[in-house]
Amino acid sequence: MNRRRFLISFLGLLGTTVLVSFVYPLVRFLAPPGGEAKGKKVVIKRSEIPAGSAKDIVVDNIPSIVINVPDKGFIALSRVCTHLGCLVEYDKIKKRLLCPCHAGVYDLEGKVVSGPPPKPLQKFVLRVVGEDIVIG
Amino acid sequence: MSGKIKNWLKIRIGIEELIKTQLTGYMVPGNINIFYTLGFVALAAFISQIITGFFLLIYYVPHSDHAFRSVQDIMNKAPYGWLFRQMHAVGSNLMAAIVILHMFSVFFMGSYKKPREMTWVAGLLMLLITFTFCLSGYLLSWSQLSYWATTIVTAMPTAFPYVGEFITRMLRGGEAVSGTTLNRFFALHVTFLPLFLLTFLATHLFLVRRIGISSPPFGKSGEGRQSWTEYRHESHTEGYPFYPFFVQKEMLMTAAYFAVMFFIISFLPALFLPEDANTPADPLKTPAHIKPEWYFLAPYQMLKIIPNKLLGISIQIILVMLFILWPFFDTKKEENILKRHLLLALFILSVIAWIALTIWGRYS
Repeated sequence: MNRRRFLISFLGLLGTTVLVSFVYPLVRFLAPPGGEAKGKKVVIKRSEIPAGSAKDIVVDNIPSIVINVPDKGFIALSRVCTHLGCLVEYDKIKKRLLCPCHAGVYDLEGKVVSGPPPKPLQKFVLRVVGEDIVIG
Repeated sequence: MSGKIKNWLKIRIGIEELIKTQLTGYMVPGNINIFYTLGFVALAAFISQIITGFFLLIYYVPHSDHAFRSVQDIMNKAPYGWLFRQMHAVGSNLMAAIVILHMFSVFFMGSYKKPREMTWVAGLLMLLITFTFCLSGYLLSWSQLSYWATTIVTAMPTAFPYVGEFITRMLRGGEAVSGTTLNRFFALHVTFLPLFLLTFLATHLFLVRRIGISSPPFGKSGEGRQSWTEYRHESHTEGYPFYPFFVQKEMLMTAAYFAVMFFIISFLPALFLPEDANTPADPLKTPAHIKPEWYFLAPYQMLKIIPNKLLGISIQIILVMLFILWPFFDTKKEENILKRHLLLALFILSVIAWIALTIWGRYS
């Protein structure tokens, strides 16, 4: 390798190093900082949700729903559609959760019935303690 | 007085020579048609967006607590605020339409062929930037429509394994669309995108000037029919001068563009601002039957009918890439699409499919 080629290669290496050393801080700068509070429990009264009805809540900043399914009891699901993030709505008559954006349909256990959603709705841990329902 | 100014400029920048080489002596093909003015109309539309955008910045507050209110104040309290906001909102839709029309006409005229591959690629990248402009500007009004349209689009990368969730978080600045997303989209809309668009615009215009305006493949045959084995400027010596001949056509079409814009503002003011666009964003309620803007209806409907999210988004990315790189696949010398039946059929089918998906998406 002659001196000219060595210098060109060295400059190329130097340029790449400078570029990469800026890319990493840039990606970190654009990536959102973590540390959002998670694991907070949500408590609601059983009496607020009669059989067949539902209540919208927010669990860990996720819009969610608690449904009182007749003969099965309470179930807590995320309302965020697994297709592209719209919020599903509870249809009391059809006993389904419907996404208004791309026509995704879920059953009351969050399983996909039809439409483009790739996976079921996220399910939250739910406990009934006396007259309270504890979610999360 | 004008003679003095002319002489002043002549001494300093050689204005006469500049006018001669760039306007009166710059020739356009003799068989050029009205569709060739669409590039200039798109430029005029972009300039109009910049000017009205600057005015809107005076009143707009890029904060999730104030954005919706500030836009409503622009519409209802600021004197003639409604005019500039409507010009900006209607203009964004019309600009998208003009850029799409420009692209279709360039494709139909075969003007993307050698040696203009780079001009086509720069143009297509500008089309994508225009759509990104529309999308990022959409969120700024912080309405129900804008909030949920942004939620859907920023969720698209989640279709890709491993990196998808990270890209979505980076776009949104968190798990969901929030005030942080608004700040990011505002920065994108008013600084990064104009810079990108101006860069590609400069490249596009440089290439058009450097190579010369392409001539329609129908009718006359000229030097454009010669093979391109080395660089040459297509000078159209047998054609007409750019000024005043072609500039008049461009002015006519620009006037038509603004006539359509003001017709919509005057007689159809709610055309691009439906009810959900005037309802403040509610992160806990997705409006029923939410629809994207008309230019996103076809991909929206496609996502709806393809059952697999990764497949649906991948098909769309492949189609866009194929279109951007089309000049490198279609290397046949024949520019006249009417003599290439397979390509003509493909073009017509693609346009019909796009229109059909758009209508289906609108009424589904």
